[in-house]
Amino acid sequence: MNAPIDPQVLAQAADWLVRLQDSKVSAQDRHAFEQWRNAAPEHARAWLRAEHLLQRLDELPAALAISTLERAPTLSRRAALGRIALALGVMPAGWLGWRAAQRQGWLADQHTAVGEHRALQLADGSRLTLNTSTRLDIDFSASARRLTLPHGEILLETAPDRIQPARPFLVHTPDAVLRAMGTRFMVRRRHGRTHLAVFDGAVAIALPRQPAQMILVAGQQTLIHAGQIAAPSPADDTLAAWTRGLLLADAMRLDQLVDELGRYTSVYLQCDPAVAALRISGVFPLNDVPRALAMLMAASPVDVAQRFGGYWQTVIPRAEHG
Amino acid sequence: MAVEQDPTAQFSALYGEHHAWLAGWLRRKLGNAADAADLAHDTFVRVMAGRDLTSVIEPRAFLTTVAKGVLVNWYKRQALERAWLEALAQLPEAQMPSPEQRYVMLETLHALDAMLDALPPLVKRAFLLAQLEGRKYEAIAAELRVSLITVKRYIKQAYLQCLLLADDLPA
Repeated sequence: MNAPIDPQVLAQAADWLVRLQDSKVSAQDRHAFEQWRNAAPEHARAWLRAEHLLQRLDELPAALAISTLERAPTLSRRAALGRIALALGVMPAGWLGWRAAQRQGWLADQHTAVGEHRALQLADGSRLTLNTSTRLDIDFSASARRLTLPHGEILLETAPDRIQPARPFLVHTPDAVLRAMGTRFMVRRRHGRTHLAVFDGAVAIALPRQPAQMILVAGQQTLIHAGQIAAPSPADDTLAAWTRGLLLADAMRLDQLVDELGRYTSVYLQCDPAVAALRISGVFPLNDVPRALAMLMAASPVDVAQRFGGYWQTVIPRAEHG
Repeated sequence: MAVEQDPTAQFSALYGEHHAWLAGWLRRKLGNAADAADLAHDTFVRVMAGRDLTSVIEPRAFLTTVAKGVLVNWYKRQALERAWLEALAQLPEAQMPSPEQRYVMLETLHALDAMLDALPPLVKRAFLLAQLEGRKYEAIAAELRVSLITVKRYIKQAYLQCLLLADDLPA
């Protein structure tokens, strides 16, 4: 097995692959490339991998390959995510934590650290996944099944109550009380707002000190903040790609993407306002933020500036060459 | 010798306790024992290559998660193989690659397809046009109706994805 190569070095190699295959490549470019390759053994190793890749691709007859790739049906988004998770060596959250939950008991506080995921099965059979940096209180009493989420993100798949009459299943955030109606949904509390996305069934939203309720159904999401519920917008369950250890960006604003990635690392990550509005598409691994940043640098005209020994990183615009 | 922390012993324990169960689970999904046995084997190869097994708390949930990825991969491979045979059938006899060449090409195509799967369609298309058809960046920009800089970025994104996943390419 090869020793891992720094993703940033691989991103540089990818950049050279593009530049050297440009029909306008200059002698200067080639010279600069030689300098880069000789600058460090890791550069040379990255380039060897690049050459190996080119060699294999060159063995493919173009017409045959393109016609095959275009004939083969494309996977659904969900299936493609599973496959890319497998290829990236990313493992989903769903198989951790059962024992930990039992040890701590059901009436408990659950905490996840930065970058940690945890899946739990609750006493009624409901399944719960906690995302990074989350605090959750679980309180099942005779009258209600109650979760309190002051901060963080959960995916909840409720089960019918085993006790009759069935107790309501409630999720309290500082902004609202959410009542599950046979359902799978995601709740995120961050930046002083509650984000709710419903994938199956429905969820009733009640605001503090207001009698009216609003019902959000499968395929909808909304933001709740300062006594207001925003107009629902469409949601699909790729929003819960984090349970598979992935972030799926679909023309996502760069500042939002950087903010998302920042949740999974103790490094202080920020985005230069000059590139904040760039739109990014791609799949990024959450268990390996340096790799995700290298992929981001390949996908958009940005660099990452490091300060204080790498504990402070800023995504900045890059001067395009050539 | 066999301490609890020994990864080989952990793997053997996982294999011994759950292999038959996993093969059964896959047989129900696939409806045939031979493919199920192959995929159960692939799943354990993934597990062995992958990670620290001490963190696995629900072994069967863990194994089915890995197996689902293997299964999707397998279905995709079947579809790709059918598409490949159809494409080959269009070729004149004289241009037909040898069986060995065909095998190598199919392996490469499958690896490439897996690497490019998660990329946005335009990125994938730009990459295939440049890499397989050898088209100039300017021509690709015109065809996809995006700027030249965007084309270069798309291709770089695809290259990086391939380089990051290149360990996965069969040798």
